[in-house]
Amino acid sequence: MRHAIFLFSFAAVVLVTSLATAANAQTPAVGSTIENFTLSDTNGSSQSLNDLKGKNGAVVIFLSAQCPVVKGYHERINQLAADYQAKGINFIGINSNSTESLDWVKSNAVEYGFKFPVLIDKNNVLADKLGASVTPEVFYVDAKNTLLYHGAVDNDRSGKNVSENYLRTAFDDSLAGKKIAKTSASAFGCTIKRISE
Amino acid sequence: MKSGRSILAVFLITFFLSIVAVGQTSVIQTTASPTSGSATPTVAKIDALELKRLIRPKGKPLLVNFWATWCDPCREEFPELVKINNDYKGKIDFITISLDDLADINSAVPQFLTEMKAEMPAYLLVTSDEESAISSVSKDWSGGLPFTLLINEKGGTAYFRQGKVRPEILRGELTKLTTSPAAGDR
Repeated sequence: MRHAIFLFSFAAVVLVTSLATAANAQTPAVGSTIENFTLSDTNGSSQSLNDLKGKNGAVVIFLSAQCPVVKGYHERINQLAADYQAKGINFIGINSNSTESLDWVKSNAVEYGFKFPVLIDKNNVLADKLGASVTPEVFYVDAKNTLLYHGAVDNDRSGKNVSENYLRTAFDDSLAGKKIAKTSASAFGCTIKRISE
Repeated sequence: MKSGRSILAVFLITFFLSIVAVGQTSVIQTTASPTSGSATPTVAKIDALELKRLIRPKGKPLLVNFWATWCDPCREEFPELVKINNDYKGKIDFITISLDDLADINSAVPQFLTEMKAEMPAYLLVTSDEESAISSVSKDWSGGLPFTLLINEKGGTAYFRQGKVRPEILRGELTKLTTSPAAGDR
């Protein structure tokens, strides 16, 4: 009996651990192709990566209405979107947080002045597919959906001491036909609140 | 006469106990951890180099929690972490590292720790290179808060979690690390 209880407990721990691992799926490697996806925007209309991307690609950016780090970044994100949408790189916001309602996401997008669509990633399917875990977290793809850069917008949450503009530099290098020197960077942020949490 | 002796005995015992109680109180007040009780906790500022030193175990399993006052899940899980610290006190080392702004080191951070009655040594990381700090902690961490890491006494990772900890799993790992093989066989 004790043996059976031990085996059952062991199996339960293995199962829970496997589920936890599944929630932190691997991010696609830089240079690999991101599969097209279709999600609903805050007005309920279906939108796809292939429809929304610009002639020079797109930035898929994971956002949160609740996260103070996103709040700290929203003006920089808007500036980047304005600067580079004009150069053919379109921004696509994604909200994968199970704790944030549609109304909240919608009003937050207005409050932050996002001029790009914010799509609702119900059940964090896209976040799982891309291995996204933090907000804000960006995936910059070219017109063929090849992943060029993944990670942080820059190296300073506060915005007061930015010394590395990772995303802007990646845009500039790519648009100039140069090899992107830094293709990924991590930074502190809010963890995406998945349904399995 | 007998009752007089009894009264004297009761008086002496009461007097003695009162002295012990007062002594105890003063000991608690003078030796209280800077992060405990009603005293304002001390939060030490660290840089990336000190972070690397701090996350090396020193003879015991080491539990490290990265958090911030602006992080709701961090605040939500903190009471459980305080319980874990109380339950495994002496068997593990447990430190907390805040990613709040330096401006909060004497205000919001110690205020929250006081509210939580947190006795773990508390630090606040200040670094201009977050990426390097994150990668020095764990290859499995992408920077999301909260992040909790359990390191065995040899320096290997026994458990990590980005997001709120799953207490039953963490406690299971802690128990494994703090139970000797001989005790486990019994």
